[in-house]
Amino acid sequence: MILISAWKRGIAALGLIALGTAASAQERVEIDFWDMVWGPAVYSEVGARLVDEFNTSQDRITVTYRPIAWTNWYETYLTAIASGSAPDLSTGAGFQAVQLYDQGAIRPVDDLIEKLRANGTLDDFGSVALEAAQFDGHYVGLPWAMAARAWFYRKDLLAEAGIEPPETWEEMRTAAKAVTNGDIYGLVIPGDTAGMHHIFATTINNGGGLFDEDRKPAMTSQRNVEALEFLAGFAEDGSLHPASVGLSYGDARSAMQRGQAAFILAQPNFIDEAGDAGEDIGLLPPPKGYHGDIGTVFWSLQLMVYEQTEHPEETLEFLEWWSGNMEPLFSEGLARVVPARISHQQAPYTAGNENIQKVLDLYVPNARIIGAQAPGTFPELNEIEGDGFLVSIIQRVMQGEDPAKLAEEVQEHLEEVMN
Amino acid sequence: MTSGVDRLSERTASRRSRVGWWARPDFAVPAVLLAPSIVLLLVVIALPMVQAIQYSMTDGSLLKPGDFIGFDNYIELAKSRAFWNSLRFSLIFAVGNIVGCYVLGLGLALLLQQDFPFRGVIRVLLLLPWIVPSLVAVASWRFMLDDRDAFFNQLIMMFGGDPIYFLTHNDWTIAVVVVIKIWRSFPFMMLSLLAALQSIDRSLYEAAEVDGATKWQAFWYITMPQIANISIVLCLLMTIWTVNDFDTPWLLSQGGPAQATENLVVLAYRFTFAKNDVGAGSAISLTTLIILMAIFLVILRLRKT
Repeated sequence: MILISAWKRGIAALGLIALGTAASAQERVEIDFWDMVWGPAVYSEVGARLVDEFNTSQDRITVTYRPIAWTNWYETYLTAIASGSAPDLSTGAGFQAVQLYDQGAIRPVDDLIEKLRANGTLDDFGSVALEAAQFDGHYVGLPWAMAARAWFYRKDLLAEAGIEPPETWEEMRTAAKAVTNGDIYGLVIPGDTAGMHHIFATTINNGGGLFDEDRKPAMTSQRNVEALEFLAGFAEDGSLHPASVGLSYGDARSAMQRGQAAFILAQPNFIDEAGDAGEDIGLLPPPKGYHGDIGTVFWSLQLMVYEQTEHPEETLEFLEWWSGNMEPLFSEGLARVVPARISHQQAPYTAGNENIQKVLDLYVPNARIIGAQAPGTFPELNEIEGDGFLVSIIQRVMQGEDPAKLAEEVQEHLEEVMN
Repeated sequence: MTSGVDRLSERTASRRSRVGWWARPDFAVPAVLLAPSIVLLLVVIALPMVQAIQYSMTDGSLLKPGDFIGFDNYIELAKSRAFWNSLRFSLIFAVGNIVGCYVLGLGLALLLQQDFPFRGVIRVLLLLPWIVPSLVAVASWRFMLDDRDAFFNQLIMMFGGDPIYFLTHNDWTIAVVVVIKIWRSFPFMMLSLLAALQSIDRSLYEAAEVDGATKWQAFWYITMPQIANISIVLCLLMTIWTVNDFDTPWLLSQGGPAQATENLVVLAYRFTFAKNDVGAGSAISLTTLIILMAIFLVILRLRKT
């Protein structure tokens, strides 16, 4: 009898445990968070650690962190959304939120913005970043970072050639020619998407841009053709690294770190990422274009919530936590972007990093998005950046094709995309 | 007796006339047995095909269904420079690979037919390019080609030549893509042709030798006709595989530089996913299918005549 009674009690206890476990499992909401790989390998490790911190800080939401490689990023998201398996929340390319919102896949974060406005946190976001997150009267994402492009140079190569860091495009070409010798070249441009950034950066640098102020394609303007001519000039001078067209950004970065090129256009923390080679690399103050203008390209990056989420409230709750606690992504994860929140910019890592501060002070105030000179953001920019056409254009610039003719082709393409 | 047989056949005939043709055993049994395969084929082949045709006549994206626009996507395609460029490269890619891997495969198959030491080991080694995953193979080639310090340039410079930037110039990149495809394809060709060569009746060669035929004559008048059928099948298969090859041009150069190695499949991919234009992507895929079918029909017709 005693045995039977103990057996029954055991069964009852197990049942209670099972019920309890089931109940607690039901209570925890599952959130999928896809984060692009914004830095070296350590970036995703820091991201996963932060998510673990959130998961252990409360007992209602479990977030799953998934790093997403940049290779074929657009297809990754499109196919996930089309097949009904989109994440709840993600980071993404500069115009991903606005384009996917336009396609009905993104849920605006207006409620969270209002909450942040009410508790005073919204003042912590830069106005430029907030403006870039707005489309169609809604906030399509929450800004978390800014990506900008700046010029870097090899101090040792310029010193050997007895040249001061150039201040203008003309001086840059002269310097590039002067350092070219044997297997050392003036400039390295990657042949992949990072190569395309040269078109954005130089057209803006020269006071131009892909669009005019009425959002009409303006690639054939004199300023833009001059920008392409500036880039083509390095190939013409023989100072462009001859393997450039076939190099990935990683290859080009290695060439610069090995001292095989004197100039590169790269992300703000390029020197930090170069390790020991960083000692020989310096940040070039923004060079003046042919008409004395300065400027570069930047992207305002957002965290976006997907319409397919079954838990919008919990997703916003995590988003708010993530936005406030993500600083280690920059200081420990070495994200190749600059924080959007002022408090994160003022944190010891970013505030104490001379090069990032210089980029923030010298480059960012004159930086424009790829839709320059058109105001605001628009969905077509995502296609312009992601369809690969401009990658082939920069490759052809480096192969020595006529810049004016290429500008006309870009113009046709932009018109086609906008129509 | 005769009347009994007649009655039996009358009864059978009358029963047959009452039962529908679909219920007769000579139709029903094969139909039931074939039904799962037919359903599977419809789901796996016919349904996606019908869907692709439908997509190719709309202007939608992967996320937003579009409107019916008839043949507009095909008309735009015919006007598109990118389409003609990719068609041109697809032809170069297919012809280059078929000729290259057939010549190499046949040569090696003839060699491997001979008896020599370590023949088995060499056969296995020659199969490696076919066995290695495409990602590993193409990434390794890229690593050996992409820069001045890469393996092939080191080799060229060792012999006093200037480095060649293979992935920088259009013609060099096209050549490299074709060479890598040949390298990846020849083991299959070699293996199939070796099997065909080994099935040729030896007495034909003995008779030719008795008649005083040279080795070349024996090859041309005995070997080639004997392997002609398998050669045609292999070349047709290789045409399909080459025209539909995405891995080689994409992994090596992403269709570049300047779209020089963008074949029809890469173009369809770019339209569908990078430009999010499913209609145009489907139109390119279906056009590729039509081109392949036309090649098939022409070759089969020529073979018949």
